[in-house]
Amino acid sequence: MSRRASVRRRVLAGAGPVIRRRLLVAVPVLIATSIGMFLLGAASPIDPAKQYAGAAAFTATEENLDQIRANWGVDDPLPVQYARWVGNLLRGDLGWSTSRHEPVTAVLGARAGWTLLLVSTALVVVLLSSLVLGTLAAYRRGGLLDRGLRAAAYAVEAMPVFWLGLAGIALFALTLGWLPAGGLTEVTATTTSAADVAWHLILPVGVLAISQAPWFLLFVRDSVAESLRDDHVLAARARGLPGGTVLFGHALRTALLPFLTLIGTHLPELVGGAVLVETVFSLPGLGAVTVQAALGTDFPLLAAITLVTTAVVLSANLLTDLAYTAADPRVRLDG
Amino acid sequence: MAETLRRVRLPRPLPGRLGVTTATAVLASAVLACLLAPVLWPLDQSAVDLARIRLAPSWAHPAGTDDLGRDVAHRTLYGLRVSLLVGAVAALVATMIGGIVGGIAGTLGGPVDRILMRIVDTVAALPHLLLGIFIVAMLRPGLGAVILSVGLTHWLSTARIVRSELLSLCTRPFIDAAISGGAGRLRVLTRHLLPHVLPKLALATTLMVPHAVWHETALSFLGLGLPPHLASLGNMINDGQGSLLTGAWWASLMPGLVIVIVTLALAAIVARWRDRLDPRVRAELQL
Amino acid sequence: MTTTVRTSALLGISDLTVRFELPDATVDAVTGVSLAVAPGELLAVVGESGCGKSVLAHALLGLLPANATVTGRAVLHGGEAPVDLLGAGEKILARTVRGRRIGLVPQSPATALTPVRTGRHLLAETLRVHGRARGDAEAVAADAGLAPADLDLYPHELSGGMAQRLATALALAPDPPLLLADEPTSGLDRLLVDATLDLLRQRCDNGATVILITHDLAAAQRVADTVAVMYASRIVEHRPAAGFFAGPRHPYAHALLEALPDRAFAPIPGHPPMLTELPAGCAFAPRCPRAADECGSRPGLAPDGPGRVACHRPIGSHP
Repeated sequence: MSRRASVRRRVLAGAGPVIRRRLLVAVPVLIATSIGMFLLGAASPIDPAKQYAGAAAFTATEENLDQIRANWGVDDPLPVQYARWVGNLLRGDLGWSTSRHEPVTAVLGARAGWTLLLVSTALVVVLLSSLVLGTLAAYRRGGLLDRGLRAAAYAVEAMPVFWLGLAGIALFALTLGWLPAGGLTEVTATTTSAADVAWHLILPVGVLAISQAPWFLLFVRDSVAESLRDDHVLAARARGLPGGTVLFGHALRTALLPFLTLIGTHLPELVGGAVLVETVFSLPGLGAVTVQAALGTDFPLLAAITLVTTAVVLSANLLTDLAYTAADPRVRLDG
Repeated sequence: MAETLRRVRLPRPLPGRLGVTTATAVLASAVLACLLAPVLWPLDQSAVDLARIRLAPSWAHPAGTDDLGRDVAHRTLYGLRVSLLVGAVAALVATMIGGIVGGIAGTLGGPVDRILMRIVDTVAALPHLLLGIFIVAMLRPGLGAVILSVGLTHWLSTARIVRSELLSLCTRPFIDAAISGGAGRLRVLTRHLLPHVLPKLALATTLMVPHAVWHETALSFLGLGLPPHLASLGNMINDGQGSLLTGAWWASLMPGLVIVIVTLALAAIVARWRDRLDPRVRAELQL
Repeated sequence: MTTTVRTSALLGISDLTVRFELPDATVDAVTGVSLAVAPGELLAVVGESGCGKSVLAHALLGLLPANATVTGRAVLHGGEAPVDLLGAGEKILARTVRGRRIGLVPQSPATALTPVRTGRHLLAETLRVHGRARGDAEAVAADAGLAPADLDLYPHELSGGMAQRLATALALAPDPPLLLADEPTSGLDRLLVDATLDLLRQRCDNGATVILITHDLAAAQRVADTVAVMYASRIVEHRPAAGFFAGPRHPYAHALLEALPDRAFAPIPGHPPMLTELPAGCAFAPRCPRAADECGSRPGLAPDGPGRVACHRPIGSHP
């Protein structure tokens, strides 16, 4: 059997258990999350009928409000309400957004793509830059680049992303006038062109990436610096392998395995950062509607956003686990 | 495999002695200023002065004034006061939740431990800010909602620390000795386990304060935190956002800088403290 | 041959000293080591763990961490131009010395093999770097006692003995004239120990030079031509193996031999000193039954018959 084939065999052998184990976690997580959110929603002191009626609630008769409550079934026992809600979710009916007065699916459909674009672009930028810079810093440990990067990383780590965003606007949009201060397209634009969007995304993506970079950068730097003293890396050097082969073929491969996990565990934070960045830059993603929904106690929309995001995070975790299994032949055994 | 996959080392700063001294001094003076503020520089939270809106930094207003003519430096001091207070209380709530969950998991073990740890993993997989927003929305924005929002999203690390601490303590001989000496479960817990766990809990609470401050600030910035007229760091940065577009960049500069400085100072002190607790940091040379 | 070349050393180490700077201490890992190793010689450097033996090997290859300071000279001769291993930069060591002129059989092969690579990958990579055909992999492996099928396994799937053989094959692949074997037998059973030692001996008999770093005196006795004993970062005795095993002169060497199971099996009382706080006088004096007042000053490594010894009151001399 060729080496490639044997590697493929290993990966496939590892994938099954990983998927099974992840699903074993993911399904209870989603159920638990939905129950938790539902209970919080039920415990909320806010009357959904009055909420829906808005200012009209003051003039509406008690019968009218009761009629609304009956229509929504809010007086049914909680398990019945929960079952109805989950049943609807599973059928693809995410409910009616009370804050935006349209179906939740419509809100998600129009906006989730932009958030996904922001998060994934920022993630790619973070990964590439922290891999390159972190490795360079580790390779010249104690050098100017290393010390400068670490100082910058600790400083940025202490800056709230929304403040960083405002600083970015103040500097690049208002003072220098290089980049637009917010929005997704020019105000005058009538159509959405890719170039225009990309132009408007430079600052938000940059801010989100920079705010998330310290973790990844410091992790890569420490991890690679440590692995350069690992037995197998010293042994590779002792065999007279060139520096590049030692670094890429022996040090990075093992040093960066835990990095895959870090991506997974850090995604929730990236999502939170995206909400704030979207708010700062008035981007039409999920961030702004989340805030709007929260102010309007829009349970269906908030619950859907949280559940969908959780599902996306869980699938990303599954992907990183699969990548880990593919990259590390040892994982298969201690499974 | 879960263990292999979760083997994530956190990067951490190692400040020098000078750094720690500076950090302590900065933090001490910040706390002192917050404590003395109501006596020395009383602030009327709702006062506005429309004759002095958006003044650039000057001797009279070192950090300028905002779009309602309020002195930014003065309000920043009160914002820090509110944020630190909310942060500390919320961190305490988070530590209590985490301590109880971790304590139960660590002492009972078995299926209870497995279920509780599964819950910990569940919450860890959720985007914290979204969950925090959800909690605040369902409880109506306000002080209590913010504190609960922090508490319910930030207890995980404490639970893990307490649990693993208890599990490792239970394998130590002096616990066996106490149990075979006829000590009851409660007595072992209070007399033998608690004294070892408490320092870790104190550390966990301190570690949590900057996170709690951040969470509060983020919620306030989104308009979901403390009441808008109240000077809090997040509210002020949010207010400053409007002024920024009119050129008054200073309105949100100072509250943000204060967050950065306090976070850095706390991180420096905590890092040094953590190294004292953990002597394994000694150089590991293979001779 | 028209001229008789005086047998000169393949490797001449003079006054090699290694210090590690720690935040609150200095580690004297190797102090003033001078040794000459002739072509075809098998030198065993013996001593308890923590006496600085492995640091010596890493210093010769320029593999010490950044907090190490190395002084002295270590000139490598042989077919090519002489090179001072301690003075040559990383580039020269990496391109011309490591692997090609000095091979390293690492300590604990299990961790010295890159975990995400198969043996075949590692071996082919090393062969390619040193200008040999990848196809030689199986032949080189067979020399070290590995079956072709074993090469497709990942390091964690190898037994201790197989990992050892793979690590040895990797070191031997470029055919270096000098081989540093750093505790190559630790963790192996007796049969594998003997096989590994015999492989090293065979290298020497074919003209190569081997420095065997070990705490296992029985291993040294089996294969060594010369023995150097290290204690607390210094060499305390250095002489031909036959004379050494018949009658060591340094009390520490004597005690080491007496600790062997087939001799008195008597452990040495006390512990070796910490390398961060070495005493001013003879480092072995606190544990030495022959210690006297004069041992408060440190003895130099002085010629002693066919070898050298660093002791004021060596065994066999009259008090």
